[in-house]
Parts: sequence; structure tokens; C-alpha cells
Amino acid sequence: MRVLVVEDEPDLLASLLRAVREDGYAADGAADGEEGLYKAENYDYDAIVLDIMLPGLDGWEVLRRLRKTKKTAVLMLTARDAVRDRVRGLDTGADDYVLKPFDLDELLARLRALIRRSANQPQARLEIGDILIDTAGRTVCRQGEPVSLTAREYALVEFLALHRGKVVTRTTLYEHLFDENDSTLSNLLDVHVSNIRKKLGHDFITTRRGHGYSIEKTQ
Amino acid sequence: MIFNSIRWRLQAWHGLILVLVLAGFGLSAYHVTRDNQLRRVDQELDQRLGALFRPPPPQDPGSSPEHHHREARFDPSEFTVRIREAIQRAVQQAGAADASQTNACYYVLWQADGSVLANSTANPQAIPLPERIEPAAPPESQGREPSGRPSAEPRPGPRMFQGAARTREEQRELFRFLPHGECILVGRSLAPELAAMHRLGFWLVVAGTAVLLLGLAGGWWLASRAIRPIEDISATAMKIAAGDLSQRINAADTDSEFGRLTAVLNSTFARLEAAFAHQSRFTSDASHELRTPLSVILSETQSSLSRERSAPEYRQALEACRRAAQRMRTLAESLLELARLDAGQEPMKREPFDLARVAREAVELLRPLATERSVEVRCELSPLECLGDAERISQVATNLLTNAIHFNRTQGEVRIATLAENGTAVLTVTDTGEGISTEDLPHIFERFYRADKSRSRAQGRAGLGLAISKAIVDAHGGALEVSSQPGAGSTFRLTLPLK
Repeated sequence: MRVLVVEDEPDLLASLLRAVREDGYAADGAADGEEGLYKAENYDYDAIVLDIMLPGLDGWEVLRRLRKTKKTAVLMLTARDAVRDRVRGLDTGADDYVLKPFDLDELLARLRALIRRSANQPQARLEIGDILIDTAGRTVCRQGEPVSLTAREYALVEFLALHRGKVVTRTTLYEHLFDENDSTLSNLLDVHVSNIRKKLGHDFITTRRGHGYSIEKTQ
Repeated sequence: MIFNSIRWRLQAWHGLILVLVLAGFGLSAYHVTRDNQLRRVDQELDQRLGALFRPPPPQDPGSSPEHHHREARFDPSEFTVRIREAIQRAVQQAGAADASQTNACYYVLWQADGSVLANSTANPQAIPLPERIEPAAPPESQGREPSGRPSAEPRPGPRMFQGAARTREEQRELFRFLPHGECILVGRSLAPELAAMHRLGFWLVVAGTAVLLLGLAGGWWLASRAIRPIEDISATAMKIAAGDLSQRINAADTDSEFGRLTAVLNSTFARLEAAFAHQSRFTSDASHELRTPLSVILSETQSSLSRERSAPEYRQALEACRRAAQRMRTLAESLLELARLDAGQEPMKREPFDLARVAREAVELLRPLATERSVEVRCELSPLECLGDAERISQVATNLLTNAIHFNRTQGEVRIATLAENGTAVLTVTDTGEGISTEDLPHIFERFYRADKSRSRAQGRAGLGLAISKAIVDAHGGALEVSSQPGAGSTFRLTLPLK
């Protein structure tokens, strides 16, 4: 999962990026509207946290322009507690709305819900064969026994599980699991997949040679 | 209570005045009419009384043997007797003549001892003998005059018998005393007159009541019409009191007293609404300014506490919190200062000081910032003594200069100058920045107003500096104005009273 955070207050941006990354997402930051719009248009983010008061393009304008090309889930962040502003934000195409000062846990929970919904998986618990994935607690159980996964491994499992039945290309996986700060090694993905297969069973992830990976729908 | 209602009070006063006027008018009309009628009756009775003393018709010589020597011999005692007879006869005649009429007159003649000598009524006993009134004139002269003929001593006066009149029950009676104590009385019933007066009274009451009712109805209508604007005003004021500040009173006619009151109230309401809107915008802006640093603190602490961190990470988090807290402190101080300025709690000193010196100090203070931003500051300062609080004016100058440096382009220029103009001291600060757009220009001194919504916030500025500066200058009785050419720069102009 990869999230874009657009916020002009440097301290808040840094704090949000750290929190989002620690929640297991890859995260990019943008300090103004133009940079935010550029990144949002050029990468497939799973969600965008967008501040309204931005220098240059404000949040509404970024959202309006982004909606012409992309359906990425957007969580608006604002300091103005006016119903009119909230209505305007939702009408422009925002998917959720959080008021500053926010509770970090709530923001992250809303972000998780947003990502699940945008993948058409409103349930927090996904059951695939004898594997149970709890996206809220970020845990995976096999036959009722918890399995220990690294954050990156979990993210890979969650992404494939949310897009179950579809073949996910290596490029897409790279785009969604690594942010711009990660120095991606070409075989890193294979290492993660191999580790997951050791922990959750060899057949859990299918390799489509030349295409990518998938978790079969009929497990 | 209905008597607390203006309409009812107006109506009550109106009704009272109407009743008094109508009663006064009706009573006087009644009295005048009654007096007139009495006078007419008196005149009639007087004529009849006078007719008694006229000589009997000459074609009737046999009726009285005394007639033959009436002119030949004049003897007072004889005269009395003759008059008595004549009266007796006339009384009988007149009584007979009048008996046929509806408003018949009756006559009574009493002797001096009170016994009835002659009368025309069936029941003379029912008519009491009038009390003798002492005539002002001597009885002799009165005695000579009754016949109406020319006498030895003609006396002034329209008639010879100045008797008295009385109203007894429903009769009007006129009586005269003759020289020898006889009393002649003529009277008649007042019944027709009284009936007419009753009719008059009745119609006066009916007409008066009708007019009163009409007047009350008209008064009610007038009062209602007069009250209606008040009711409109009170209804609107009630809605405003209930919280709907956008309500205005409908003013149909703008020239009347109510129209003017309405205009005054409406403009008051408009100002009230504007003040409320301003206040609520101010509060919302202030809370907005507080939310971002609060978000930083909350998010930093929550995220730091979520797991064990290394020392540099803690340091970073604490520094972010400190920056946020400092921003909130600056904001709180600015807000407090504005509140004090608004309340007028900080009286400005009025001491002479050199504006040029204050400006120069501000320039020196900000020189490092200017150098850092590669902005050149040019001073055109000449000594200018003016009155005010040097410390506060220095704060304004520093703020204007800081803005001029902040919003300048690199390699730009700030020009600060003093000049005396029209008896005022003027300080101008001109920059070569982007200028202020025409839509932002009117709002530039508003609290929390920022032409660029976020740039200055990132620099830790809340948008209160110019508002504070203006409040300070206003408290000095001076003026702070701005002119700007988009793309070329802005000029802030501070005017203060000269010493």
C-alpha cells in the first residue's frame, strides 16, 4: 500500500509520513499543491491525505484536477470546521474528511478503511483458505495460529489479498509497496514472496511467469 | 395587562377627551336652548301681563261706569280701584280666551291681605302667593306707571312693571306687586317646552353616543395604524433576538418618523450582524491558526509514544513540539494584544519623539533579515518630531519593514522615508515585491487575512501583524494606509499628529 501525504507544515508532514510508514504503508510526501498533484497523477497511490490550505494550488483545486484522471481515494485534512467546507470537500470528490487537530490513531484507521473500500473489500478480515488476514490488527493467522511476518511481507500479502483473483504485476507491486525513498533492488520482491511461501504455504501465492503474482480466488 | 398596551392607553385617552368634549358641547347646547325657551316664555308672559294694563276697548263703554270720569278726575285711591277692576276684567277675559288654548295662561290677582280677588284658574289655592320683593324704586313712582300712559315723571326703562319670575314645578309664572300690595301673577305650564327639552336632550345623548362610538372606532383604527410599524419592529427585533440576525424591518415609507426609526434600526441591525459575522470569523480564524500547531503536537507525541524510540528521534519530536508551541505562543500574544487594543486598555503615551530615529532603529534591527534575503534597505529619513508612544510606533515600523522585506523579491529594495505633510508626520515604507492584488487590498488590515493563504503561515506568521499595527495607529489618532501596484510593489503610509 502506498500513500501520498500533501501537507505544507513541514513538522506535520514529517510526523504524518513517519506514522503512515510505521503503519506498514509506503508513503510519499508533498509540501505544496503542485507537487502533490504531480505525484498523485503520476503514481498509483492507494490513498492520498490532502490538506486543504496549501500554497499555490489549494487542496480543493488539487482534488478537482486529480478527479479528471484518477479515482484514488482521498482523505481531506483541514483546520476549518465548517459544514460548508466539509460538504464542498465531499462534493468535489473527497472520500473522507478529518478535522485538525486529529487523533493519529483515528486518522490511520480511516486511512485503512479508505484503502479497503477502494479495493472493494469493506471487511477488515479476509479469509483465504486456512489463512485469516486481519487488516485492522495487521496480523495473519494460519489454521488459527498467528504467523509472524515483517511489515513489508504483510503489506505484500495484504495487497495481493485485496486484489485477490487478479494478476498483480511486479511493477504494480513495486509501486505500491515501496515509496520514493526506498532503493529498490530488483530481486527484493522475489525474496519477500519466497519468505511468505515458507510461512503460509507454497501454494498461497501463485507465480504467473512474465506477468506477476496472484492469490487465487478459489482457495 | 391590556392597560399597559399603548393602543389601549391611546384609546382610553382619546375616549376620555371625546366624552368631555361631547358632554361640554351637549350640555352647553342644552342650556342655551333652555335659556332661550325660558326667555321666550317670559317674554310671552310679560306681554300678557302688559296687556292687562292697556285701556279697555272704547266700544265697550257700558261695561264700566267708571270710564266716564276716568279722565275727568284723577284720584290715586280711585285709580287703584279702577285698575283692580280692569285687571279683574282683563284677568277674566284673558283667562277665558286662554282657557281654550293648549298652553293656556292663568291669572291670579291677590289682594294685599293675601285673599284672591280674581283668577282664571279653577284651583287658585294651589298657587301660592309670591313673596313680596322690595322693589328698588319707590312704590309711588311704580304706582304711577303701570297703565303705560305718559305720566308726570317718565322713568327710564323698557317697561313699567319690573316684576319677578319664578318656576314652580312645571309652571313658569311672572308676577307684579301693585302699589297697594295687590299682586298680579300670570303663569303657564312649561310642559310643551319641557317636552321639547326632553326630546332635545334625548337626541343630544343619541347623537353624542353615536359620535363617541364613531370617534372610538376611528381612534382604534388610527391607533392600530400608528401601532402597526411598532408591531413590525417588535416582531423583527424578536426574530433577531432569537438569533436570526439577517432579519430586517420592512420600511414602506421612509420619510415618516417610523421610516426614519426603521432606517436607524435596520442600519443598527446590519452593523450588529456584521460585528457578529466579524467576531465569528475571527474566532474561527483564531481556532484555525491554533489547529495546525496543535495537530503537530498531537501527532508528534502520539506517534513518538506508540513505540520505543531512539534519542535523536525523541529530540526531533520534541523540537517539532517546541516549534508548534512557540507558534501558538506568538498567536496567543498577538490575540491578547489585539484584545487589549480593542478594549482600549492600553493607553498610548503622548510624548514627543523623533519618528526618523524610531524608523532608523527598526531598520538596524531588521538589517540581518534584509541581508539574509538579499534586500537592500534605503533610508530617506529626516528628523520629524511627533506625538505618540515611541515604543508602539517602533513596533508598527518594525512590522511594516518586516513585511516589506518578507514579501520582496531577491535583490529587491525597501525604501523608508519620513516627511511632514499638511501638519502631519508621515512615514512611508515602499517595497519592490509582487504587490497586493486589487481584491486583496481592501482586506489587508483585517485580522488573519492573508493575500497568499499559506505562504506566510509556513513562515510562522498568523496574519495579525497589520491588524495590530492598524489598531495601534488608530489608537494614536493617526492613519495607516496602503497603496499597491500589482507586480511593482506596495507602499504603506503611516500618518501621525505632529508635535
